[in-house]
Amino acid sequence: MAQGDNKRNQQGKPAPAKGGQPARKSAAGRQSVAAARKSSGSNRTQLIIGGIAIVVIVAIIVVGLVLNKQQTAVQAEGYGASTQSVATESNGVVTVSKPGSTPAVTIDLYEDALCPICAEFERQYGQQINKAVDEGTLAVNVHMLDFLNKSSFSGDYSTRAAGALLCVAQQSGSQPGVYLTYHSALFSPDHQPAENGSSDLSNDELAALATSSGASAAAGSCISSGQNVTAAGEAATASSATLSEATGGRVATPTVVHNGAPVNLTVNWLGTLLGQP
Amino acid sequence: MSRTAPPGVLVRDGIGLVARIGLAAVWLVSGGTKAVDPAQTIVAVRAYDIFPQSVVGVVAAVLPYLEIALGVLLLIGLATRLAAVLSTIVLVTFIAGVISAAARGLSIDCGCFGGGGDVDAGQTAYGQEVLRDLGFIALSVYLTIRPDTPASVDRLVRRRADRTA
Repeated sequence: MAQGDNKRNQQGKPAPAKGGQPARKSAAGRQSVAAARKSSGSNRTQLIIGGIAIVVIVAIIVVGLVLNKQQTAVQAEGYGASTQSVATESNGVVTVSKPGSTPAVTIDLYEDALCPICAEFERQYGQQINKAVDEGTLAVNVHMLDFLNKSSFSGDYSTRAAGALLCVAQQSGSQPGVYLTYHSALFSPDHQPAENGSSDLSNDELAALATSSGASAAAGSCISSGQNVTAAGEAATASSATLSEATGGRVATPTVVHNGAPVNLTVNWLGTLLGQP
Repeated sequence: MSRTAPPGVLVRDGIGLVARIGLAAVWLVSGGTKAVDPAQTIVAVRAYDIFPQSVVGVVAAVLPYLEIALGVLLLIGLATRLAAVLSTIVLVTFIAGVISAAARGLSIDCGCFGGGGDVDAGQTAYGQEVLRDLGFIALSVYLTIRPDTPASVDRLVRRRADRTA
């Protein structure tokens, strides 16, 4: 029977500690317990620190995912294609608006048909723009640039796509919604060619896409023949110059210009312009 | 009772602090520029052509905040060794991505500090990007080996634990 043990006496109660010798052993016991607690304490501390770090990482990522979802959410999701807009062309720039309306807001939209960030812009804001134009509160001047030609497989895709859009505006612009539907189709992930990709759309394919978006056969043959490609190239050069002037030298797409100044494209940029809460 | 540390320890402390704050700054800037431009980040990730489309979105959404989180941990010196190990893993993954892109003849900007996507073939800078990432890995490996740095939560906690034990 060792001293210092918590031996129970015959009645099952803890035996009282005896004085004298056990005090030294208890002191030694306390020191070794304290030493053990320190080393296991620092191990435990390490685990706690590591646990807190993991929690911090997960928390920041979760907050980030929520923010990201808000920032990239499709605006006016579910509205769909434009059904009331018409397109008129003037000097290579196509203006889209609702006939008979006097929209309070007009924006100049600069894009390149090959530009993937423009495709993201279309994904996020296309339906909201369709809705605002259909409601008569917004008019859009579409400027198609072509500086990404060299990144296209055929070497001139951006100009040809811009030419195709001009054909649709000229031949089918008065058919409600057709121009905007074709414009959206060109930027959809199903159709937009990849930069430095192994293929892009030929004039015939651009024409087929136009007619399946509702354009007339006349628009289709205008596209297939490449009729407006030269004009589109000239318009792209001119638009590039006006964009450079508005932004102080920076030609990048997509850019939205309102009242001569580029718009900061935060998630609610269009709602703010339209005066919506 | 104060003690002055031997000069060797002071030097290693100094290097460690510079490494920790430097790496923190790298992550905070890198993550921050990605976080404010989600569209650009998606384009940058997609350009590597490694992930399928569905995964691109998730990677582009999470990556900036993982970087920011590592930057925050390193900045305050909390769980420095863990943050350094994770940093090394992420940096090695970046280098693998850049090397993979170069080997496949892709022509992209790494998008590491914002920007990203496709660039003219003459403008790729794969060699520079790999060297830069290797430099950052040197910092993270140093901190993995010697994570105890001055002005850190780690050191504060350790000293309080030592005193109360």
